[in-house]
Amino acid sequence: MGLPDASGDLSSEMEVDAFRRLFPLRFYERHLAESIRPDGRPLGRARDTTIALGAVTSADGSALAKIGSTTMLAAVKMEVMTPSMESPDEGCIAIDFHMPPICSPIVRPGRPAEAAPVVSKQLSDTISSGKAAWMAYLDIYCLDADGALFDAALLSAVAALFHLQIPAVSLNDDGKIVVSEEDGGKLEKEPVNKEKRKLTLRSIPFSLTCILHKNYILADPTSEEEAIMETLVTVVLDSSSQLISLYKPGGAVLAYTSAVQDCIALTRQRVRELQKILDEANSGMEVD
Amino acid sequence: MAGRPGTNPTTYSPSLKTQKTRSTIFKDQEIDWVRPDGRGFQQCRPAFFRTGAVTAASGSAYAEFGNTKVIVSVFGPRESKKAMMYSDIGRLNCNVSYTTFATPVRAQGSDRKEFSSMLHKALEGAIILETFPKTTVDVFALVLESGGSDLPVVISCASLALADAGILMYDLVTSVSLSCLGKNLVIDPILEEESYQDGSLMITCMPSRYEVTQLTITGEWSTPKINEGMQLCLDACSKLANIMRSCLKEATTSSQE
Repeated sequence: MGLPDASGDLSSEMEVDAFRRLFPLRFYERHLAESIRPDGRPLGRARDTTIALGAVTSADGSALAKIGSTTMLAAVKMEVMTPSMESPDEGCIAIDFHMPPICSPIVRPGRPAEAAPVVSKQLSDTISSGKAAWMAYLDIYCLDADGALFDAALLSAVAALFHLQIPAVSLNDDGKIVVSEEDGGKLEKEPVNKEKRKLTLRSIPFSLTCILHKNYILADPTSEEEAIMETLVTVVLDSSSQLISLYKPGGAVLAYTSAVQDCIALTRQRVRELQKILDEANSGMEVD
Repeated sequence: MAGRPGTNPTTYSPSLKTQKTRSTIFKDQEIDWVRPDGRGFQQCRPAFFRTGAVTAASGSAYAEFGNTKVIVSVFGPRESKKAMMYSDIGRLNCNVSYTTFATPVRAQGSDRKEFSSMLHKALEGAIILETFPKTTVDVFALVLESGGSDLPVVISCASLALADAGILMYDLVTSVSLSCLGKNLVIDPILEEESYQDGSLMITCMPSRYEVTQLTITGEWSTPKINEGMQLCLDACSKLANIMRSCLKEATTSSQE
């Protein structure tokens, strides 16, 4: 394509890998000029996404979400708390995002990844719910880190909340809440809620991360793309296409109005895809 | 309302399991224990293994034994930390951690130091460290759900992950544990059985070479009982090794297609 290169003849197959390692930016720009990416995707397409509900039986709600190779496992555990004075009818949700050392060669045990608290904060800003005096501990573990961590984390968190079933509990003599017996034999305990119930969610957030590079917009980057081209934009829309959040943490490329509008349009399309995938996963569970 | 990061209200789990006291069945030695999942005393749980679970790692494996689910990633051989001295054999670094939702009652998901060092001792006898001098092989395990007999599953899964990463070993390492409930020996115990046990025996061995890399015994054991327990475990280990081998063969044939 007329690019000057000092590494001689690069058209032989064995040297493609070397070129990819030595001159990653040029490798990508050659592909972008043809409007395609090395893994064969067009610029605006996200990777294959799957959701599996109920992955972990020891938690009250759980989900495993995969976007390409990025894998996230989210689980919700419910505990009882005394509500605060100002809001006696509200519960609480605590969100924690972990990157255990298995997910990526750059994470070491004992030294948390730099991305972890950033994603944690982003998730807390996006999600909100609450019923009675329940404390929901939402923990998200990254099992495989290959780019677009926030998107996969949000998707798995939303799916886990979808799958959550608040256990049937009753009030004990000591004033403590205890899980109701399955056979319902003990009558002196007053049941607070007779059966397991699902959480009602107002509006569901979905997100898409895009990379801006010169005048190209790449949707759903892999970790290789994120490492080379550093300007990321994350757009979070809810199921009625209302904007919840727009996040652009610095980067060399400026986000002009047209770029932001294109990102939002790509996200809108992605929301429809994700909504369908989530509904399929949900209905798949109910058949059981 | 969204979680307020500053406040940490004290919470408790409404689960009944924390309030159950140990059953008095075993005071009377005549009554037998019936396993909740309907297995025989000498029957292990069905094992499921899959390699290549984590694409970011050099090698990885996922193991599922009943409700115990474990992922192990192997990174390396890669550069040792700069502070370490020169060594003409390789180093092995192990780390085992639990997710916060792995146990029935939510606990802080911290590293389990004793499991990490036990995993290290179990594996170091089997890995040919001379093949990667000056470098380190990192083995990281994450227990997604704890359903009993966690460490043996972690060890077996780790050796499968090492094989997937291409690290040279003398043989695959498999591990099985046994619980002593009154006068009964129960193999591959679940969480409930482990909480009632009087003693436990865990063997890690290299089945084809018939060599034991680690033996851990807790509780009171008479010599004939130890012999019986060891024999049961060694048989189970060799069967488990066959399952692991067929999993590896399947992985290589499917990648060749």
